[in-house]
Amino acid sequence: MVSHVNREYEENRDGYEKKLYDTRRQGKTKHKKKEQSEYFFDYSLLFIVLFLLGFGLVMIYSASSYQAFLEFEDSAHYLKKQLTACIIGLVLMIVVANIPYHFWERFYLIGYLVSAALVPVVLTPLGVESHGARRWIKIPGVGLNVQPAEVAKLCMILFLSVMVCKMGKGVRSMKGFLVMVAFPMPIVLEVYLITKNLSSAIIVLGISVLMVFVASPDYKKFIIMALLVFAAAALVVYLVVSGNDFMAFRGNRILSWLDPESDPTDTGFQTLQGLYAIGSGGVFGKGLGQSMQKLSFLPEAQNDMIFSIICEELGLFGAVAIILMFVMLLWRMMVIASNAPDLFGAMMVVGVMGHITIQAILNIAVVTATIPNTGISLPFISYGGSSVMFLLIEIGLVLSVAKRIQLKEL
Amino acid sequence: MLEDNNRIFHRKKILVVFLLCTGAFIGLFGRLVYFCVWQAEHYSRMATDLHERERSIKAARGRILDCNGKVLADNKTVCTVSVIYNQVEEPERVIDILCKELELSEEYVRQRVEKYSSMERIKSNVDKTVGDRIREYDLAGVKVDEDYKRYYPYDDLASKVLGFTGGDNQGIIGLEVIYDTYLQGEPGTILTVTDAKGIEVESAGERRIEPVSGLDLCISLDMNIQAYATQLANQALATKQADSVSIVVMNPQNGELMAMVNVPEFDLNHPYELPEGTPENLSTEEKQNILNGIWRNGCINDTYEPGSTFKMITAAAGLEEGVVTPESSFSCPGYIIVDDRKIRCHKVAGHGSQDFTHTMMNSCNPALITVGLRLGLDSYYSYFEHFGLKRKTGIDLPGEAGTIMHKKENMGNVELATVAFGQSFQITPIQLLTTASSIINGGRRITPHFGVQTCDKDGNVVEVFEYPVEEGIVSAETSATMREILEMVVAEGSGANGKVAGFRVGGKTATSQTLPRGSGRYIASFVGFAPANDPQVIAIAIVNNPQGVYYGGQVAAPIVRQLYENILPYLGIAEDENEQN
Repeated sequence: MVSHVNREYEENRDGYEKKLYDTRRQGKTKHKKKEQSEYFFDYSLLFIVLFLLGFGLVMIYSASSYQAFLEFEDSAHYLKKQLTACIIGLVLMIVVANIPYHFWERFYLIGYLVSAALVPVVLTPLGVESHGARRWIKIPGVGLNVQPAEVAKLCMILFLSVMVCKMGKGVRSMKGFLVMVAFPMPIVLEVYLITKNLSSAIIVLGISVLMVFVASPDYKKFIIMALLVFAAAALVVYLVVSGNDFMAFRGNRILSWLDPESDPTDTGFQTLQGLYAIGSGGVFGKGLGQSMQKLSFLPEAQNDMIFSIICEELGLFGAVAIILMFVMLLWRMMVIASNAPDLFGAMMVVGVMGHITIQAILNIAVVTATIPNTGISLPFISYGGSSVMFLLIEIGLVLSVAKRIQLKEL
Repeated sequence: MLEDNNRIFHRKKILVVFLLCTGAFIGLFGRLVYFCVWQAEHYSRMATDLHERERSIKAARGRILDCNGKVLADNKTVCTVSVIYNQVEEPERVIDILCKELELSEEYVRQRVEKYSSMERIKSNVDKTVGDRIREYDLAGVKVDEDYKRYYPYDDLASKVLGFTGGDNQGIIGLEVIYDTYLQGEPGTILTVTDAKGIEVESAGERRIEPVSGLDLCISLDMNIQAYATQLANQALATKQADSVSIVVMNPQNGELMAMVNVPEFDLNHPYELPEGTPENLSTEEKQNILNGIWRNGCINDTYEPGSTFKMITAAAGLEEGVVTPESSFSCPGYIIVDDRKIRCHKVAGHGSQDFTHTMMNSCNPALITVGLRLGLDSYYSYFEHFGLKRKTGIDLPGEAGTIMHKKENMGNVELATVAFGQSFQITPIQLLTTASSIINGGRRITPHFGVQTCDKDGNVVEVFEYPVEEGIVSAETSATMREILEMVVAEGSGANGKVAGFRVGGKTATSQTLPRGSGRYIASFVGFAPANDPQVIAIAIVNNPQGVYYGGQVAAPIVRQLYENILPYLGIAEDENEQN
């Protein structure tokens, strides 16, 4: 069965897709061994992801064991939960990697609607409140909590990839651009207004903008947009600093970001505690497991602030290693996206790339007090079962796209 | 063709995204370098402050040693018991045990145990055995820290001189206050690393900043003289049923005080104990007033009318000014009329005709009034000031009282006459002793003092104290003449009871009526020095409100005589051969 989108592809797109089908047919008739060598499997990407996961588990244990023992009398409490999520995630990843990614095309609209419908579920009794925010949904029977925002990110990547393919050249027009920007908005607003989760909303929006950016050959619109966003941010900061009553809640966050030491007891607390950790780690760190700040000083040490514990224990070197791993991940995904057999695959990889990179950048920026404090976890490393599972599914998609790359094409 | 174009711009855009993101990562790396390298020290320090809880360690307070190296004030190990709220696991048991062991009310202990603070002190100065017992319960969150408590081996010896310390190792009265900065030392700290809830991180261990012990203070007080003087004073207190007896012994050459007794003394190891028979239900203020009275050092803190002993000063001024010589003759009809006032001599019949030496021997009021009047108000007043009588002596004890004296413009001849024989103004005993010293030591006004030097733990001298000396109070000749006259007073005059066989003693008695006059309350006193030709020791004995015989010559002079009989040989002062018989 060939879907509508696929047909459009075949009408509009280049011949390599066809070639791919031809080769596959060819391969089927020939040796299995040859097929394996002809297609690409990105082991580097897999290795980087596995490294980040393993590193994350070690750091979660280090950062959480003290607190976990105090709360649950089991220092490996968080580690066990994360390990379970990682294993489930890896299984899902392998499954997804082995499913031809065009399989998912047909679900784009359902995915969009489901994620839109899922967000308000947090308000129902199924919703789970944690850390003073209602952002999780309990999946009955499994004992796992899932953030609708995670679902929304994944579905948005799929939805926009399909939309870009569907619109074809239409995306280049102003109308097409506006349509593409308008689609994610309902979900973004839902996430922001219903789950009060500004960071996830920013990430969903960021993924969308990035995908539209790649899909459209234009630069001007995006530069203007970036400038507008920058100006708006500057205006908000200016209003807050000049003592305007406008946006009182976020205002405190911004003030404590500008000068975390001025208010170490309240909003600046987490930021400042994070800076203590980073600063006391120095260049070489205190050594694995030697963090002081994880002893209940730093809230969310195993979660959003895990990067500062990495800095404290492993120093600048550990931090640079992590950043380098993310840059390499980014590079692998760039290579895959550039060589993807079709636009759909490329767009999906760009979406995943955007998701992981934006989240990593924002997390490190928050930890280093470069931007105001907002709860963003560090991909693959921070504690959070549903987050890591969805990230691994996304990596599965990327691997699936990579698998369709013919080696000759590289 | 179009498809290829598409691929190219997609690739380009993806590259742009990659570069933008990599740029962001590099920017964040720069930010990290800033924190990990430039700000590392700043944040590490702040983090360490956050992680460490302080417990202070008392520094061992310096000891106080007498001139022979005997320890007058020492330290003994005691414990401070405190609780750390976040570490207490069984609050009820803790409250229970602390109440029992420390003998405190449950309410008091509960309030402290349940107070949410990083560290709450329950009781300090707990006996070491009690502290050890509490430690053996091994209660979580209860800290027993050892520190030092002041301990005075001789209990009440020189109590008002030495003084005592409070719970925080600070001097409250006496030398402990004046030399507090030397004695105190630097308290140390135990820094324990704790988590955010204040629970100790055991693996992190403790960091100790060791306390620096205080310096030992060596004083000129001689424990033996002090003890003997105390014994004499107590004897007099008992036999004369006096209110108080004070004895001060000093070296008139340099101002070193050898003894300062004020009986009744109090027990330095229990300074807050109220005397027996004190009503139970007193307000805190009333209790404090009683204690302040008990702690009061009469030689320093109180003034009195010196009476006839002050005639030394009038005589010295007269001699110095040349208005009188030892041979000048005076006639005493038993009174003298000054302006419109008739001032009586203590001998109603009068002393008749006598030379100046004899007027002093007889302690004749009209003769000394005459000397004073000859000097005149201006001259007398300037001598009064010149002798340093209007200044404080500068003794190294707290709370020295100033002189209460007429203002010059309010003085007439009557006032001058009364001042001349030691009435109508008030000075402290130490002031009198200091002024008398300057008259007999050749005219040097010395600063009375106890503090000689400070030493470290190993006995190495750290600082030798120096005290101001003012030369030229009187001329050497006047000083010599005064010594002769005062020796005559003891040898053949009113101070005969101060005579010590084998030694040349000079001195002057006084019997002063306290205000209000006619109350029948007297102060008997005697100032004596030896050897009279070269004074090495000067002493004053003051008996406050003796019953029965109240004359200085009969009450106070024998005290000094007994003192000298013992301490002059002890001090190694050679007996005078001429005095043998």
